[in-house]
Amino acid sequence: MNMRINKQTGEWLEREKQINFTYEGKKFTAYEGDTITSALWASGEKVLGRSFKYHRPRGVLSLANHDINVMLTDGVDTNIRGDVITVKEGMSLTAVNTLGGVKKDNLRYIGKLLSPFLVVGFYYKAFFRPRFMFPFWENIIRHGAGLGKVNFNYPRIPKPKLNEHYDVLVVGAGPSGLAAALAASLDKQLKILIVDENKQAGGSLGYDRAGSVTPQSQLEELLSEVNITPNITLRTDAYAGAYYTDHLIPIIEFSGITKVRTKTLIIATGVFEQPPVFRNNDLPGVMNGSAAQRMIYRYGIKPFNDGVVFTANDYGYRVALDLIHAGTNVKAVVDLRKTPVSSILTRELANHDIRIYSGHCVYEALATSDDMAVKGVVICPFDEETNQADSEQSFTIECDGVAMSAGWASAAALLYQSGMKVKYDYTIEQFIPDSLPNGIFAAGKVNGVYDFDQRIADGARAAAEAMRYMGMDNAPVITVQAHSNVSPSHSFPVVPHPKGKNFVDFDEDIQAKDFINAAKEGFDNIELMKRFTTVGMGPSQGKHSNMNAIRILARIRELPVEKIGSTTSRPFFHPTPIGHLGGRNFHPVRQSSIQSWHADAGAVFVDVGAWSRPAYYQKPGVDLAEIIQQESMAVHNAVGIIDGSSLGKIEVCGPDAAQFLEKFFTGKFADQKVGEIRYALSIDESAVVADDGIVSRVKDELFYITIGTSNAAMVYREMQRWLQMWQLDVGLINVTGSYGIINVVGPKAVHVVSSLTQDPLVSKLTAGKVGETIISEVPVRIMCVTFVSNIGYEIHVPADSMLAVWEKLIKAGTAYDIRPFGTDTQRLLRLEMGHYLPAYDTDGLTIPYELGCESELAMDKPFFVGQRSLKILAKKTLKKRLVPFVLADNFSGQMPEDCNLVIENGEIKGRVTSISYSSKVDRVIGFAYVDPNKVEAGSQFEIRTDNGSMVKATVVNTPFFNSKKEF
Amino acid sequence: MSMMKSTPVAYFQKNLNPKWGEVNGTQVAMSFDTPEIEQQRKKNLGVTDVSCRQRFGVKGPKANQWLATQNIKTPDSINSWVLDNDVLVLRLGSSEFLIEQQVSGDVCKQLNQVSQTAAVGVYKVLRADAAFVISGDQILTMFSELCKLDLSAEALKPNQLIMTQVADISATIVSEITNGQLVIRLWCDGTYGAYMWRVLHQLAEELGGGAVGLTNC
Repeated sequence: MNMRINKQTGEWLEREKQINFTYEGKKFTAYEGDTITSALWASGEKVLGRSFKYHRPRGVLSLANHDINVMLTDGVDTNIRGDVITVKEGMSLTAVNTLGGVKKDNLRYIGKLLSPFLVVGFYYKAFFRPRFMFPFWENIIRHGAGLGKVNFNYPRIPKPKLNEHYDVLVVGAGPSGLAAALAASLDKQLKILIVDENKQAGGSLGYDRAGSVTPQSQLEELLSEVNITPNITLRTDAYAGAYYTDHLIPIIEFSGITKVRTKTLIIATGVFEQPPVFRNNDLPGVMNGSAAQRMIYRYGIKPFNDGVVFTANDYGYRVALDLIHAGTNVKAVVDLRKTPVSSILTRELANHDIRIYSGHCVYEALATSDDMAVKGVVICPFDEETNQADSEQSFTIECDGVAMSAGWASAAALLYQSGMKVKYDYTIEQFIPDSLPNGIFAAGKVNGVYDFDQRIADGARAAAEAMRYMGMDNAPVITVQAHSNVSPSHSFPVVPHPKGKNFVDFDEDIQAKDFINAAKEGFDNIELMKRFTTVGMGPSQGKHSNMNAIRILARIRELPVEKIGSTTSRPFFHPTPIGHLGGRNFHPVRQSSIQSWHADAGAVFVDVGAWSRPAYYQKPGVDLAEIIQQESMAVHNAVGIIDGSSLGKIEVCGPDAAQFLEKFFTGKFADQKVGEIRYALSIDESAVVADDGIVSRVKDELFYITIGTSNAAMVYREMQRWLQMWQLDVGLINVTGSYGIINVVGPKAVHVVSSLTQDPLVSKLTAGKVGETIISEVPVRIMCVTFVSNIGYEIHVPADSMLAVWEKLIKAGTAYDIRPFGTDTQRLLRLEMGHYLPAYDTDGLTIPYELGCESELAMDKPFFVGQRSLKILAKKTLKKRLVPFVLADNFSGQMPEDCNLVIENGEIKGRVTSISYSSKVDRVIGFAYVDPNKVEAGSQFEIRTDNGSMVKATVVNTPFFNSKKEF
Repeated sequence: MSMMKSTPVAYFQKNLNPKWGEVNGTQVAMSFDTPEIEQQRKKNLGVTDVSCRQRFGVKGPKANQWLATQNIKTPDSINSWVLDNDVLVLRLGSSEFLIEQQVSGDVCKQLNQVSQTAAVGVYKVLRADAAFVISGDQILTMFSELCKLDLSAEALKPNQLIMTQVADISATIVSEITNGQLVIRLWCDGTYGAYMWRVLHQLAEELGGGAVGLTNC
């Protein structure tokens, strides 16, 4: 049946463009601009989805994405909101959550037969025994209730996340929002943005017409003014998804997210229509009055042929006039209220011979034999005082549709998130702002202002207040008249029915009786009730249900509505694709200045902190484990070279430099001679190990510090923080990126390095010494360190010259079989040397005593960071100690791994922190935390491996290869 | 014979087959395409690696006075810049400066001759920046994705310098109007240079621009 009517003024369609698509395998046509829902409804298709739990057939409720009656799948994409997503050529749509199609959904029997057993919260209480059956039931429930199935083949489409800045952001392009923007635009310096989630601006002014042409003229007037105002940007099909501190509002569009930072924020988001609650209020054909209006004026569709309007406010009368305009045969207006309504509207309806039943209710909607549509409504007299329908005097009106109007709830999610305090206004039966945070203003219906002229005034008032907030004291003072007409919302539009199926939350199939049951079980607080019943927790986030839920709970507890309060929907209050949140996914990575050489040499890179470093260098036909052993043995037998540029490097300069280091590190530096290097350990105030490194005294007032890769930024930050507090005459310079480090290690290292310089410094440099020299015309700092080998040179080179020096060293080392090695081998080498690595062999609680590094703690100094805590901890019993260990000779069982536990008598005593096989030692070697009584060489302990087997380990001295004879 | 240096970016420009040149002893991409094409890119969104420019960094409580003795004009206020005789001086804080020689000249070369502790309260800072010049009609669109701050001319004070996050890493930004067009200069740690180049180049291409060599910058 074709429900399309003549072209409407201001409609959103381009009728000259036709679109073809399929729904549930059937072909349909639409006009460009049609949403999926409007296209199907225009073609007479009424069953557009199935409900979440009972699998009841569903049609249109809000036609505004305030419900999820129409959720569809199209290929790999699912959970498509039919109400607002425009139909596109070639779409192949199916309803979500069905078994056998939307019309013959085999799961419909859940609602028909099992619903008495599926009361709210049933799954909290059922299926727990026997326990082994729970996965079975869980599987059934998950298949029976749900939304679309996520397709993991959905392509990742990176969407940009942009940043924009405005003086005024207006959310909502209805009359209040447009008026606010226009008022603010009078100051030409202000940059103003209006956003609206709808495809076109105007809000309710575009469709709430009561059969008149005036609203559309008013809208066109407002929009034409906005369009010619240069400092206003109007963006439609863009919703403000959340509010964050400092007026940061993410605006979500199809193309991505724009993070808007605004000096002032005007919320003119209007209200959500709340359906009255009566039996079968979810049948296809029963819809909100505003949905019927949207259908008529946006998409040129007659909502139904023979309609009944069930209202509890004056708005329903306007809806009735719009239905008449669309050609619907309005058979009756059923008004829950006894009191008379606007005489103008009733007079107009009388002119159309429409029967009005005041003090009556729709007791229930009657379904057709296939349950797919409305065939009529049962009308009863209704007593508002007692909330009782007199079913004895019921009568039936045949119809194929019902338009419902009972009231509104503020679309105030952003205001709630901003920290708004609310109050309940009984003159309009609505929560409205009581106080708002600085810089935030509300206007229009969300602020409790309903009259058109006053909404315009309220927008201007909000703009004026925003301008005053920005320091424009000459902004006009605008007064808005308080609401004086009858309330636009009914205080309790709920019609009880002994057979139930009077739905409050359409997302979750929650009926009025569910709230009563929840309250009986003690869940009678709004937050508890929300979680027990799941009201408002569906994809609509309570847009069409929260207000009725609050009213019902207030009635149950015999409390005023304001005592019940309301819940806050968290950001994002509107569904937002994960891809939008992910954005383009910037992944910053630091690279050494010779990364190109590594890549060309076959390096396999690994992330180390922010750095990308060579883990090892691939060799054809050789596996990783063997490569590591080969690289390691090259260092032991000849010479190896590694790029250590990622190490943190900090220069500490100035007269107080030594004093600063004495305070910052645990060791002593005041007496350090120029040309010497010393080990440095830093701990925090609670004595937890932060990092370690090397301090080189390059000049009297210049210390050069190298620290771990991962902790470098943290250590530098801490240094800056302490320097601020100590106020010493010191300059800190982070030169991490300015210098590259080339580490040449192994017995032949001295030959390789010396060959590039005439300076005798290199050959004379002994362990623990540093000097400055020229290598291949490049000024370098060179230090002799024994971290991964007994003989090793760290050459610190200006980054832009590093490649040249590196290549010279490689060339010079060819005669000695020099081999580059990566971080995997470096970790093995330092393990063989018996050096622990902070952050690898320590965690966020490790103290120096657990590392056995008491010799690095100069407790006789007057002060250093963490010293006081160390003194306290020294008096306590140590619970674990890090020890070097080996496994048995020719060990061949399940290999222990990092983090495997050390177990003694069934108790956890520690864990393995590093473990590896060493060709040099010819054993599996490692570090582990053990009971402090097991630190002596020769002590044994057991490690539980991943497969549960226990492996014996023996404590040894380090370096491991020196201890080999002890094994 | 002095050894050729390389910018932090050069290796990652190889796939664009640039014409290489040497500036300040550093290998740098002089052009990626014909002048006409690069001018068109510049009009939309051009990105040029200018890491090869000579720089000198200094900090310390006496740095400002010391620079004055070296005849370097410094900005009066922090987070601002001044261009004097082809020497760009950025004041990064009350006592820290970055000086960059723009095209020719040897001011930075001379300054770099001083020792690390040049004078009492003056500390030389070894610089290894990746530096870029970005220009074109789409420049604010690009930076609206990369940077949370408003970089439009109206939002900035004259000669304002900004230290912020660009593409999630720390960067220093200077924006100026040159020949009626907004131009942004960007410096970041050289170890992030390749990453920054990838990001800038990718976005520039998406927005109808691309790589521009130093010759056409």
